[in-house]
Amino acid sequence: MSSESLKERFVSAFEGPLARLLLLPALAFIGIFVVFPIIWNVVLSFTNYSLIGVQAVKWSFIGVRNYYLILTDSTFYSALKNTVLFTIFSALIGQVVLGLALAVVIRMKEPEGVLGAITKGLKYIAITLVFISWIIPEVVAGYAWAAMTDIEGLLPKLLHIHARLYIKYPLQTIIIANIWRGTAFSMILFLAALESIPKYIYEAAEVDGATPAQRFFHVTLPLISSAIIVDFILITIWTFGVFTMPYIMLGPAEGMLWTLYVYGEAIELYMPSMAAAATNILFLIVLALILTYIKLLGRLRRWE
Amino acid sequence: MKLSQILSLVAVWAFLIGIIAFFGAPLLWLVLSSFDPNASPVFRIPPRPSLINYLSLAKPVGTTPPYIWIINSIIIATSSATLTTVLSLLAAFILTRYKFRGQSAMLTMFVIFRLVPPIVIALPIMILFKMWGLVNSMLGVILALSALTLPFTLLMADGYFRSIPASYEEAALIDGCSKLGAFLRITLPLAAPGLATIWLLAFVNSWSAFIIPLMVISDVWKMPASVGLYFFYGQYGRVDYGRLSAFSILFSIPMVVVFFLTQKYLMKGVSGLVSR
Repeated sequence: MSSESLKERFVSAFEGPLARLLLLPALAFIGIFVVFPIIWNVVLSFTNYSLIGVQAVKWSFIGVRNYYLILTDSTFYSALKNTVLFTIFSALIGQVVLGLALAVVIRMKEPEGVLGAITKGLKYIAITLVFISWIIPEVVAGYAWAAMTDIEGLLPKLLHIHARLYIKYPLQTIIIANIWRGTAFSMILFLAALESIPKYIYEAAEVDGATPAQRFFHVTLPLISSAIIVDFILITIWTFGVFTMPYIMLGPAEGMLWTLYVYGEAIELYMPSMAAAATNILFLIVLALILTYIKLLGRLRRWE
Repeated sequence: MKLSQILSLVAVWAFLIGIIAFFGAPLLWLVLSSFDPNASPVFRIPPRPSLINYLSLAKPVGTTPPYIWIINSIIIATSSATLTTVLSLLAAFILTRYKFRGQSAMLTMFVIFRLVPPIVIALPIMILFKMWGLVNSMLGVILALSALTLPFTLLMADGYFRSIPASYEEAALIDGCSKLGAFLRITLPLAAPGLATIWLLAFVNSWSAFIIPLMVISDVWKMPASVGLYFFYGQYGRVDYGRLSAFSILFSIPMVVVFFLTQKYLMKGVSGLVSR
C-alpha cells in the first residue's frame, strides 16, 4: 500500500460526524484553562482556602462570608471608585477623544507642495509613535512611564513638581500613562470608520455651504456613531481589566484599582478565596459589558 | 493661500507636534538611556554613548543572566503560537466547512472569552496549578497562555477561512478528493499567509503576557522576559536603568517587527471588530 492511499484513508476517516472531533482539542483547551478556572473561582469564593497555613490543606465551605467581608471593606470601594474614574478619564475621555482627533486630522487633505510634504511627514511620525506605544510589551511601557514620572524624570521637571508623580498623584499618573498606551486602538478604529464614509457625502455638504465644523458634527459624527459606541464598550472592557502597567508603576496599591485589589488580596495577604469573591463581583460587571457589546454587534449587522 | 487655511495648517502642525512629543518622549528616553552607561530617569542625550548596557546583559542579575529570560520567552511564545495555530486550523476547518447546531453560539462564546480580563483566569489558574503540579513549570505557562490566546486565533482563523471561497474545494471534491483532503490540498496553501499572521499574533500575545507567568512562575531560571524585567526592576533598591532599558528594547523589538509585518491585517481586524 502506498503512503499516499494510507494518508487518503486516514483523511477520509475524518469525514462526516467524526470530523467534529477536530473541534475537540481547541474546545478542551478552552474548557480546562478558561471555563473551568472561572467556575473554580466561584467555588473558591465560598471557601476559606488560604495560600499558607492549615487552610491551604484543610479548607472548608464558609458560605457567603467572603462576600460579606469584601462588601464591608472600604478598600474595595475605594478600588472600585478609582477603577471607574480610571476608566472614564483614561479610556472614555482620553482615548476616544484623542483617537478621534488623530483620525480626523490624519484623514484631512494636505495642501500642495512643500507644506503638504511636511504635513505628511508629521502625520507619518505621529502615527508610528502612537502605534509603537501600543505594541511594545506592557511591562516595558510601565517601566518607561515609571521613569518618566520619577522625581528626576521629564514630567515632574516640566510641571515643576519635586516629587514622584506616581506616589503623589497615582491615579492621574496611571490615567495619563494609559491614554498614552491605548489611544492607538481608537485611532485605528476611527481611521477605518472614516474611510468607509463615501466622499460624495462631503462634496454634497460642501456644495450646500456647510462649514468644516458643521460637516464634522452633522455628517462625520452621525456616520461613525456605531464605531464610536463599539469603541466605547471595547475599551471600557479592556481598561476595566488593566493590571500590568499600573502594577509596575504603583506596586501592590490595593485601593487604586480592582485588579490591584484582587492581586493584593491573593498574593500579598494570602487570601485567594477573598480575592476570588472580589473577582466574581467585578467579573459580573465586565460580563454585562461584554454581553452589551455582543448584542450591539448583532444589531449593527442587522442594520447593514 | 487664504488666511483661514494657514491658520488651520498651523493648528494641525501644533496638534501633530504635541502628539509626537507626548507619545515620543517615553520611547525616546528608553532608547537614549539604553546607550547611557550612567542612565537615570533624567531625560538627556548620553554624554558618552556606549553599547555597554547591551553587552552586560550576559552578566547575571542576582543569579540569572537576563538573556536566559529572553530564551525562555522564545520557548514559551513559539510553543504556544504553534499549538494555538494548529488547534485553530483544525477547528476552523469544521467551523467553516460544516454546519451544525450551536455553531453560532460557539462563536459568540469565543467572542466572550476573548474579552475576559486575564486576571480573572490568572488567580484560579494559580491555585489549580498548585493542585496539578504545574506551578513553576514553563509547560503550565504555555498551556494557560495558549488557552487564553485560542478564542482570539479561532475567530481569526474562522474569519480567514470563510473569506476563501469553498468553490475551489468543491471542484476538488468532484474530482474525487475527500472533504478534508480538499481542504488540506486546496485551501490550506491559499491560507498560508493568513496562518502566518495568526501564528505571529499568537506569538506576540504570549511573548508579552505578564500576569499568568507572574502568578505561575517564581523560579528565576524559568521566568519569561516580561516577569524577568519586573524582577530586574523591582528586586533591588537601586534601579539599573541603563541595562533595564537595553533589555526592554531587545524585548520589544520582536513585537515591533511583527506588528509592522502584520500591519495591514491588523487594520482590517480592528475595523472588523465593528461588524463581527
